Amino acid sequence: MRRANGKHVMDNHDLHALLDDELSPADKLALMERLQHDDYRRNALCELRNLKEMVKTAYDDIALPETQENALANTTVGWTRLRVAAASVAASLILVFTTVFTGQLGGEPSRLVLLDPAGKGTRPALPGDEEMRIVFHVSGHDPESSEEILREVESMLTSYGAEGKKLRIEIVAHGKGLAMLREKLSTQKQKIAELSKHFPNLTFVACMNTVKRLRVEQGVIVNLIPEAIPIHSGVAHVVKRQQEGWIYIQV
Amino acid sequence: MKRLTTLFTAALVALTLALSASTFAEGQGYGKQKVVYHINYDNPKQQAGAMRNIQNHINAVGAENLELKVVLHGKGLSLLLEPDALKHTKLKFANATDEMQAKISGLKDQGVAFNVCANTLKGKKINAESDLYDVDKADIVPSGVAELAKLQARGYTYIKP
Repeated sequence: MRRANGKHVMDNHDLHALLDDELSPADKLALMERLQHDDYRRNALCELRNLKEMVKTAYDDIALPETQENALANTTVGWTRLRVAAASVAASLILVFTTVFTGQLGGEPSRLVLLDPAGKGTRPALPGDEEMRIVFHVSGHDPESSEEILREVESMLTSYGAEGKKLRIEIVAHGKGLAMLREKLSTQKQKIAELSKHFPNLTFVACMNTVKRLRVEQGVIVNLIPEAIPIHSGVAHVVKRQQEGWIYIQV
Repeated sequence: MKRLTTLFTAALVALTLALSASTFAEGQGYGKQKVVYHINYDNPKQQAGAMRNIQNHINAVGAENLELKVVLHGKGLSLLLEPDALKHTKLKFANATDEMQAKISGLKDQGVAFNVCANTLKGKKINAESDLYDVDKADIVPSGVAELAKLQARGYTYIKP
């Protein structure tokens, strides 16, 4: 067991080095060749890469309101815009790199688990897995149905757990549905905290487009509950999940 | 001999063309479909709209080509709740008027199944036999949400009208 753990730590080191472009060309080639025969580690690499990208995106999103305010005060709007533009260029470059790299590695298209910041999920969902994956799309603000859905989700997670079957659930909130994940408006804060703590295979996802829109259109600064994981576009995420074969239920 | 070969080739080409044409014609239709409709809202107009969507769906695809289920949970059970039963339940709407019942029974005659969630029956204090229109034990599923997931996993397409 210890040896296995030791090995994983080593593995992650060289994957990190690869991602940060710190390997020599020869080492890089050798590692990529090894990865070609190692599904588990290849997926670990995908996870790491996505984590990196997500942290970056989330950071950009959260930092924005402040920089914009500062920008207005200091009248350095141009500079802020430049920074935002540079960040988006960097993000698209990473995206292109990801696509090309995954393509190079070949093999089956991996089902990336994008939202797994703390390694909460068991592991990446792979094609042919017996794992059931469900994405709930919350687009309206209705405390009654939020409560009902969480109750149903809890009972599904519990019964799957008891039967030893694998289940992954994501609850994606956008538009009016974002209320479920807002400090000020959520009627389910306690339940969400409790469920998140109990079930590592349950993720709450908040649409940052909605957060931005609220700020720009209504001047509302949104405070999300700590369990909410930010993602750029809730709708795009839900579409992606469906394309990956997740089961879709609109709330 | 050469003529025979030419004739044979021509026949083969014709046959291939005919076959591909018929495949193409079939592709133009909708073929067989398995579909699950999800209703968890209690607005009667929206529910009536959903019933209309389902009828149009059947008209387009043909009842014989469709396996169509409607899964009701939460407030969606109001679709089948008879108006005089409203008071002793925890639902806010009872939309199973005579008009709605006619629509529902028309759809059932065309093979549409209406499944209701047992968790909701319990939570909203609804007696399936006496409060709901035309529901028997076989129509009750343990959990509406789990049923939606199960049906999709079995190849049903999900529609929320």
